[in-house]
Amino acid sequence: MNKKRKKRRNYLLFISPGFIMYSIFIIVPIIYVVYLSFFHWNGLTEKTFAGLSNFQLLFTDQKIAPDFWHAVGNNLKYLLCIWFIVTPLQFLTAYFFYIKIPAYKYIKFMVFMPYVISSTIVSFFATMIFNPNIGILNRILKMAGLPQGSWFGDIHQAFKLFILIVLWQSAGSGMMIFYSNLLDIPRDVLEACSIDGATEWQKFWRILVPLSLPSCASTIIMSTIWALSVFDLPYILVGSTGGVRGVLDFVNLVFYRYTFGSVLNAQSNYGFGAAISTVMLFVIAVVTAIQNKVLSRFEYEN
Amino acid sequence: MRTSAKEKGSSGQIYSRGNRIVRWILSVVYICYTMITFFVLGVTFVDSFKSKSELAVNLFSLPQTWVATSYATLFGKGNIFQSFSNSLMITTVGTALCIFLASMTAYGISRYSFRGKGALTAYFLVGMMVPIQVTVLPLFLIMQKLHILNTRIGMILLYGSQISFSMYVFAKFFRTIPVALEESARLDGASDFTTFIRIILPICKPVIFTMCLITAVGCWNDFYMPMVLLSKKAKQTLTLMIYTYTSQFIRNMDVCFAAVVVTLTPVIILYCIFSRQMVEGITGGSVKG
Repeated sequence: MNKKRKKRRNYLLFISPGFIMYSIFIIVPIIYVVYLSFFHWNGLTEKTFAGLSNFQLLFTDQKIAPDFWHAVGNNLKYLLCIWFIVTPLQFLTAYFFYIKIPAYKYIKFMVFMPYVISSTIVSFFATMIFNPNIGILNRILKMAGLPQGSWFGDIHQAFKLFILIVLWQSAGSGMMIFYSNLLDIPRDVLEACSIDGATEWQKFWRILVPLSLPSCASTIIMSTIWALSVFDLPYILVGSTGGVRGVLDFVNLVFYRYTFGSVLNAQSNYGFGAAISTVMLFVIAVVTAIQNKVLSRFEYEN
Repeated sequence: MRTSAKEKGSSGQIYSRGNRIVRWILSVVYICYTMITFFVLGVTFVDSFKSKSELAVNLFSLPQTWVATSYATLFGKGNIFQSFSNSLMITTVGTALCIFLASMTAYGISRYSFRGKGALTAYFLVGMMVPIQVTVLPLFLIMQKLHILNTRIGMILLYGSQISFSMYVFAKFFRTIPVALEESARLDGASDFTTFIRIILPICKPVIFTMCLITAVGCWNDFYMPMVLLSKKAKQTLTLMIYTYTSQFIRNMDVCFAAVVVTLTPVIILYCIFSRQMVEGITGGSVKG
């Protein structure tokens, strides 16, 4: 009896170290950030309860709210680009690997490579190429006698360039996951399909897409979360203000400016920063829940 | 034998001529695309051997004289050694801690049955859904309270606690190991912990290696957390050092190129050797061609 109980308790030995660390650094901060969002606090003096005034400031203040909503809009725009440009391209590329286009192993190797390159270095590459004064692209255009651009200084081009860089840097990981999901599809289904005389086109739309969609769902949800929390690249590329007229300003940059950059009345207000984080947390939770619902419906139909 | 396998498609049928042409066109398009990576890496490498004055004139040309002054300037500044050892220490110890905790937790969850197991599993997966950017402010405050802000040990603990993804992969793997193995060890009188260390961990060496690789690359390349939580110059990591140089690109052009080459080389070499394992890592440890 005693021995049995002891054995059953052993799981605590395995779980508790991870549980404690994980709770301190992952879970407690989530609760703490929501708690903080209801207070005014500069980090030094006592916290004072502020009710919803931080949120009110964020949503309605004449100076802050336009900034915030503009950033939210950019985040949405970015999210749509991820959904309708990056993800389909990732899936298509995975499909090309799957049908083994010539040299696909080499292509796979090269396409995934930028995944191991840090965003600071990716931004450095971007500067090297797109800098309007000394950048390589303008140099080449000049040599070819073509008009030069100001790239990230141009509000009509900055966002597109940004998407291209994101595509180059981070499309590889999703591609590989989609590819491995495609390989999971049972071979006999496809063989039966070929025997029945299905074309490649039909196979792609009728078999490969629907059968791999459920396992791709988690990847799509993850890339949505990353899209909502984008920070590194725009920050390093165009600075904390989001570039010319805030063309690359995202919610996280707003958060960073107001929390650590003390733009708000020249002093840091942790409560206000926490309010932005809380809104983000809420948006992520809602979007994830909706996506989960929608994507699981596809699973059900199949 | 090989050529015939090449021409066969996903389900083994032979492609028609039209299809084959389309496949070649696609391949050529992608190969052209991969040239971008070669181009960017190549230009960076070549430019790191130019003198500063030559860089200022033209970034896109072969150097008139190959000189290593950029590297001399970079190493002369000294803080590269500090940054490199900071990065190395945070990455290795943080990764080791993370993988150890993740495998242990995964083992506890997948091998024992107890009440609230489902809820606990969900609890551990929250970390995958909540990006660090949302929790960075409280993390900053908590680490300040614990006096580990601006310390390497703080970063190590922080990376060590990001166990969600690795735990998920380990749990998936543990489920494939037959229980009989542990039972025989237990009959021989080994404690649960010894069984785990001596029997289970050696079996999952490939998974451990894969997850270490992925975690280490993530730590090595991380920018956001070191930027907020390691603001002291003596504690900064390589990515932060590069950031400080590139933010004044024109002034530090030569140092930038050298620093990027120094930081990138170990990662690219690792990737060339272990690209397969890295891909396995991000696809959740599945072992496929």
